Amino acid sequence: MTGERYDVAIIGAGVVGCAIAREFSRYRLRAILIEALSDLGGGASKGNSAILSTGSDTPIGSLECRLVTRGHERYRAEAPGLGLPILSVGSLTVAWNEAEAAALARMHAEIASAGFRSAELVDREAVYRRVPALAPGAVAAVWEPEEAIVDPFSTPYAYALDAVVNGVAFRASSPVTAALHDGEAWHLATPQGPVAAGLVVNCGGLWGDRVDALAGFADFTIRPRRGEFLVFDKSARQLLDVVLKPVPTPQYRGVLAAPTVFGNVLVGPTAEDVDDPDDWRVTGAGLDRLRRAARAMLPALLEHEVTATYCGLRPASERPEYRIVARPDRRWITVGGIRSTGLSGALGIAEHVAGLAFDGMLPAERKAETIPVRVPSLLEGGARPWMDAARLAADPAYGEIVCHCEGVSLGEIRDALASPLPPRSLKALRRRTRAMFGRCQGFFCGARVLAELERHARRAGRAAQ
Amino acid sequence: MTVLEADCAVVGAGPAGLAAARAAVAAGARSVLVFDRDDAPGGLPRFCRHPGFGWEYSRRLETGPSFARRLLGDLDPARVALHCGATVMSLQPGPCLEVLSPALGLATVRCRGVVLATGIRERPRAARLVPGRRPERGILTTGQLQQMVARGVTVPGSRLAVVGSEHVAFSVLLTARHSGHRVVAMIEAEERPMSYAAVAALARALAGVPTHLAARVVDIAGGGCVEAVEIEQAGRRRTIACDAVVFAGDFVPDVPLARAASLAIGRATQGPEVDQLGRTSLAGVFAAGNVLRAVESSGFAAIEGARVGAAAAAYAAGRIGWRDGATPIALAPQFAYLVPQLWAFDDGGVAALPASLRAGQDLAAARIGLRHDGSLLWQGRKRRLLRHRRLRVDLGELARRGPGAIAVEAGSWRAISEG
Ligand SMILES: Cc1cc2nc3c(=O)[nH]c(=O)nc-3n(C[C@H](O)[C@H](O)[C@H](O)COP(=O)(O)OP(=O)(O)OC[C@H]3O[C@@H](n4cnc5c(N)ncnc54)[C@H](O)[C@@H]3O)c2cc1C
Ligand SMILES: Cc1cc2nc3c(=O)[nH]c(=O)nc-3n(C[C@H](O)[C@H](O)[C@H](O)COP(=O)(O)OP(=O)(O)OC[C@H]3O[C@@H](n4cnc5c(N)ncnc54)[C@H](O)[C@@H]3O)c2cc1C
Repeated sequence: MTGERYDVAIIGAGVVGCAIAREFSRYRLRAILIEALSDLGGGASKGNSAILSTGSDTPIGSLECRLVTRGHERYRAEAPGLGLPILSVGSLTVAWNEAEAAALARMHAEIASAGFRSAELVDREAVYRRVPALAPGAVAAVWEPEEAIVDPFSTPYAYALDAVVNGVAFRASSPVTAALHDGEAWHLATPQGPVAAGLVVNCGGLWGDRVDALAGFADFTIRPRRGEFLVFDKSARQLLDVVLKPVPTPQYRGVLAAPTVFGNVLVGPTAEDVDDPDDWRVTGAGLDRLRRAARAMLPALLEHEVTATYCGLRPASERPEYRIVARPDRRWITVGGIRSTGLSGALGIAEHVAGLAFDGMLPAERKAETIPVRVPSLLEGGARPWMDAARLAADPAYGEIVCHCEGVSLGEIRDALASPLPPRSLKALRRRTRAMFGRCQGFFCGARVLAELERHARRAGRAAQ
Repeated sequence: MTVLEADCAVVGAGPAGLAAARAAVAAGARSVLVFDRDDAPGGLPRFCRHPGFGWEYSRRLETGPSFARRLLGDLDPARVALHCGATVMSLQPGPCLEVLSPALGLATVRCRGVVLATGIRERPRAARLVPGRRPERGILTTGQLQQMVARGVTVPGSRLAVVGSEHVAFSVLLTARHSGHRVVAMIEAEERPMSYAAVAALARALAGVPTHLAARVVDIAGGGCVEAVEIEQAGRRRTIACDAVVFAGDFVPDVPLARAASLAIGRATQGPEVDQLGRTSLAGVFAAGNVLRAVESSGFAAIEGARVGAAAAAYAAGRIGWRDGATPIALAPQFAYLVPQLWAFDDGGVAALPASLRAGQDLAAARIGLRHDGSLLWQGRKRRLLRHRRLRVDLGELARRGPGAIAVEAGSWRAISEG
């Protein structure tokens, strides 16, 4: 096997792989990001709670805790420059009885002594002041003002776009099916042709153990844990302006209710071990459980329509920790088991992985300059192109709303399709623009959005000929 | 910023909005602006290429597009300006509209009377909490399917499973014939088809479609495209192979604009609450058509539009005021809803909306009565009173009365005559 030769190949364009690719794009390196699916962010990264956690809910002292804390810090510093919204809504971890209140007090003491100083134990009155619609019976809560909500779809996209604009190659629809080391380099087989690389970083998420197995490593096994969600209509957003969490147990963090940056309220996730890392099924039992949880926390939620249901799969392993393994002798780094904090931790993980790579496996020559990248903000109520009189006058397509529930214009859909990292599926287009993501789920706009996608595919097909 | 002014503005160019524009002109409005966010006027009917539209309004049974064309043809171009691709982004007191379109840019519209005729949509799969996978292609509503066919967008595969048996489900059958698809199952949660039995029988005879009653969808299979639905019926499960699942009916009014403007929204109807002239809780803002509740026929929506359009013109000309002494109409618990919800005794001689009354449960040998300050103004008898079907109640007599308590009652013949 021969093929193009890279210094580093990153397998898997989930939020973790995309952040790592972005990290390497700051250095004089030939890097490639290889993804099995037609678009980035289509694995574990597509279905999560979208919370930028501080790290206080990870095992104190663990690598995960350190990297999530660092990831959070970097996200706050770097995301605004990428155009990514952060809403610092804060979280309330609510105790509903005396036993939970005792556990809550222990949890508070523990995280405060670990350095999460802004966490505050608050009484019943303070809880109801923040969430008047909360079900009766809350006893106390821990208030963490730094917990935030973010855009889970634009985040990996922004990282990948930044990486690509700054020189990283991106190859989609390319599952790596074999990995061989010939003493000089790794040779990765993909249906789109082979790739040779000096160093491989496995960010295969739900398939991370299988990717490792291609190279003969068997340190861990992925045990996918499904989490289902209900997304309530934007009309429910008035009920909730903070993240509501139950007191966690060591096994399960419980069902939370959170506003989203898109203006909805989500309730989830459940937690259920599944055998198949491709089992993206929403279940009747899961939806019932979520409705019960919603009623127990915020009874008024049930008066609002459900806009969407979805599930995510956590790439958990047999141990409750990140499985990051560097093998300098084999030029292979495994970034596995990034189970339930990868969105928050990605930038911390990327920095850590770069550190491992530059510790003898790759030369660290930082580029003098990088090209700045911004993605469109999809924040509800945020600035949209039509609000800018000059942009609207210059380009009337921003005045032609196609997706009415989410207010997405033809101009924004066209821009997304013209990106250096164009969406190659309907789901990808939805994640980039929010078209068809709203309450009608395509009743009004589906036909027009599909027509645009088909027109674009025909044009791209002609251009390729 | 562009500023437009008119006597009346209509939001939505479906049957209700177009009929409202025409009636407003007939009632003396000098200028009427009609805005529709879609790229062409006509509302939902323009995508329904089958007969069954407009009967109550024009006494003809036409196809959707031909009914839409008739309504458009009725407009006087000297008085009515139609803007398509024009989305009304917000509604403010005044009334004042913020409109966005490629042609106008962002425009402010000032007028005396606004008619909201923003119509309905079907509740999609997620809102119905149907479990299973969520394939990228093939999870549809009737409205989306019809628009795809009308716009020449590829509908995957050849086999459709239809969930729901309201009237509109049969619209899928007709669309499927047209587009070369086959309906392989009709799946209905209720024990009887919700559409008129005769239509259902006709559909079966026409298309030979297997109908599964008292059944619900418990799983959807497929990765990129839908591959099958699994249904449960009397505890038994069965898998039906198909390429798309069409969720039909289960309509809801499309009210984000009304909600954002804090209009009072009816709990039972999910649409703006109105009096008999279509006046909402915000001065100058009227509502008509299916946005008031889901769902009546297109002809009925057009009649509502015509009545409300005339009222809006009367208001614009200062001939009527705003809901002085509006009285809520008390409804017996057997009913699901009544539109109008209120009666104002200041109609200035303008004709009232036709009543849209629905039962919340099935009743046998029922009587419906209208009372004003205790005295019976009207009564009607029904052998069977079926949920989801429109019931007749004639509110017209109220126009000859002064202020007083109003109630619509239900019961057996004896209960009402003794009451
Ligand atoms: C229910 C739920 C709730 C969550 N909530 C939060 C939260 O609120 N905050 C938070 O920070 N985190 C949260 N997470 C965690 C977060 O979503 C994950 O940690 C993160 O998405 C993991 O990203 P990843 O890049 O490791 O994996 P993935 O996103 O799975 O990426 C792996 C990629 O590798 C590709 N791949 C696999 N095999 C191959 C191959 N052979 N060749 C090429 N490509 C391959 C896959 O297609 C995939 O795109 C949640 C997760 C779940 C499931
Ligand atoms: C699949 C299907 C089949 C049907 N079959 C039949 C049938 O056989 N017979 C029958 O009589 N009826 C049928 N109906 C019902 C009929 O189409 C509706 O009752 C009728 O269209 C209602 O009219 P309307 O004017 O209230 O609303 P609509 O026709 O829904 O029109 C509303 C209009 O408002 C516009 N609008 C909404 N919001 C805004 C905004 N913010 N700014 C600008 N414009 C806006 C929309 O673009 C739309 O054009 C069917 C409906 C469907 C979906």
